[in-house]
Amino acid sequence: MTRLSGLQREVLSLYRQCMRAVREKPADTRDNFRVFARTEFRRNVRLDKKDFGTIEYLLRKGHRQLEIYRDPGIRNISR
Amino acid sequence: MASFLRPGLFRQTCQNPTASQCMLSTFTSSSIKRATPLAQQLRPSFVRSAIPKSTRIAAFHATQRQQLLPPQPQKILGTVNDPAPVPTPEPTHGAYHWSFERLVSAGLVPLCIAPFAAGSLNPVMDATLCALLIIHSHIGFEACIIDYFPKNRVPVARNLAMWALRIGTVVLGVALYSFETNDVGVTEAVKRVWHA
Amino acid sequence: MATTRALTRLATRRTAVPPAIFTRGFASVDPIAREPISKAAEAAVPDPARKPVPESQTSTIKEPEAEKGAKIKTFHIYRWNPDEPSSKPRMQSYTLDLNKTGPMMLDALIRIKNEVDPTLTFRRSCREGICGSCAMNIDGVNTLACLCRIPTDTAKESRIYPLPHMYIVKDLVPDMTLFYKQYRSIKPYLQRDTPPPDGREYRQSKAERKKLDGLYECILCACCSTSCPSYWWNQEEYLGPAILLQSYRWIADSRDEKKAERQDALNNSMSLYRCHTILNCSRTCPKGLNPALAIAEIKKSMAFT
Repeated sequence: MTRLSGLQREVLSLYRQCMRAVREKPADTRDNFRVFARTEFRRNVRLDKKDFGTIEYLLRKGHRQLEIYRDPGIRNISR
Repeated sequence: MASFLRPGLFRQTCQNPTASQCMLSTFTSSSIKRATPLAQQLRPSFVRSAIPKSTRIAAFHATQRQQLLPPQPQKILGTVNDPAPVPTPEPTHGAYHWSFERLVSAGLVPLCIAPFAAGSLNPVMDATLCALLIIHSHIGFEACIIDYFPKNRVPVARNLAMWALRIGTVVLGVALYSFETNDVGVTEAVKRVWHA
Repeated sequence: MATTRALTRLATRRTAVPPAIFTRGFASVDPIAREPISKAAEAAVPDPARKPVPESQTSTIKEPEAEKGAKIKTFHIYRWNPDEPSSKPRMQSYTLDLNKTGPMMLDALIRIKNEVDPTLTFRRSCREGICGSCAMNIDGVNTLACLCRIPTDTAKESRIYPLPHMYIVKDLVPDMTLFYKQYRSIKPYLQRDTPPPDGREYRQSKAERKKLDGLYECILCACCSTSCPSYWWNQEEYLGPAILLQSYRWIADSRDEKKAERQDALNNSMSLYRCHTILNCSRTCPKGLNPALAIAEIKKSMAFT
């Protein structure tokens, strides 16, 4: 396994945070949240590894989305 | 190694025709028609034909632009509704520092004028002038370093610059001391240069 | 007498046939003029370098139908779409007939959005310079689009950028999160421990109230902060002119009892003392305030104590 760059580690950490946040949701809608998070990540999976500006922007956006969706008031999400 | 083979660099070097033509046109506009630039001849022809012109120009303009301190990723501590962290009060770096700096600056003004106005040479006054000059320049350069080498983004360069400044200040101090003791002194030197 | 004169003036104006200059529309929506926006959404060259594609390489979106005697002016506007995050920012050109556009830059922007290109994004709310939403960099000066007249010289082209050195959300919309967090950090509200002496309200003399003139008018548009080089370099730690002006507004308030705490919060090398009196803030303020003076007053009140 190659050593990951700082940016890659940040992306992974965001992904883990998302997966942990999913566990706090009601049991019957957890799958929806998980699928949503995964599709959000998968949408940009083809991005160039060197395209730092874009990845930083997406990280910023991801953190903001996580902060919004983590709210306990949000109980379901359409997949 | 990878930085030598950046595609952007390659594209820039092999897609120079716009630039070279511009350069040539300042010399002679007619010579372009006859003699194509050397770079254009060396380039494989498919590169010229395959890429549309707009792309070539965009690549030429935008790739190889070395930014000195490119923007960092945005970091937001806490949630959007939390206040930004308030640093602990340090008057020695804050208010006291500022007051001291202003005192030194204000003190330099009469010290610069007095020896020439009075016309006499006083070693004590000369020594004070030297000391204040050293402090003044040290504070000024320190402010520049704090501004342009942020601690959280270039910590090594910041420390290096700070130590370089300290060493420079000490060297300047020693030099001025020997100049005062062994030579004529700052005021006299300025006077001689003025009259020379 | 004066009222009758005013009334007659009103009456004559209403009866008189309006001259041609009054007939120009303000950001009117012309159903015929609506063009498909496909021209606007052209493919930009994907490139990691974050410099906008200059307007010479992007297409120009033209005023729908040109008339005789039209005063056509070109606007170059910074565009970046977050939905295509790997695309580069670019400069998009628009031409508008000034005879059909309102006098301010915001009118031009609204007209572009209504009639030419609905994808153009910018913040605006009050259109009269009191909300501070439409702060942007117009022809190299940070100002409010609603207070900035369109230069009538049609030979010159106007360039509109978002506020400099801010993270961009979309087109002309900067991310103000840090700015508002910093504003929150100075506790911009009245802090008191003692109840009012008469049990009703905190009273102020006229002289004490006068100290707040030139401070309370600040609308936090961030024009001054984003014009300050010190704020560009040390955004995370230096508070910036707008926030320091607000801080001084509460330090100077005679009703506030936490003056010492407020000053202590600024008493370090970064928060306040990164101000090197460059005075860009006072120069650019669209409300004509003087943040540099407020910062100097804070420094003065904290010096030699």
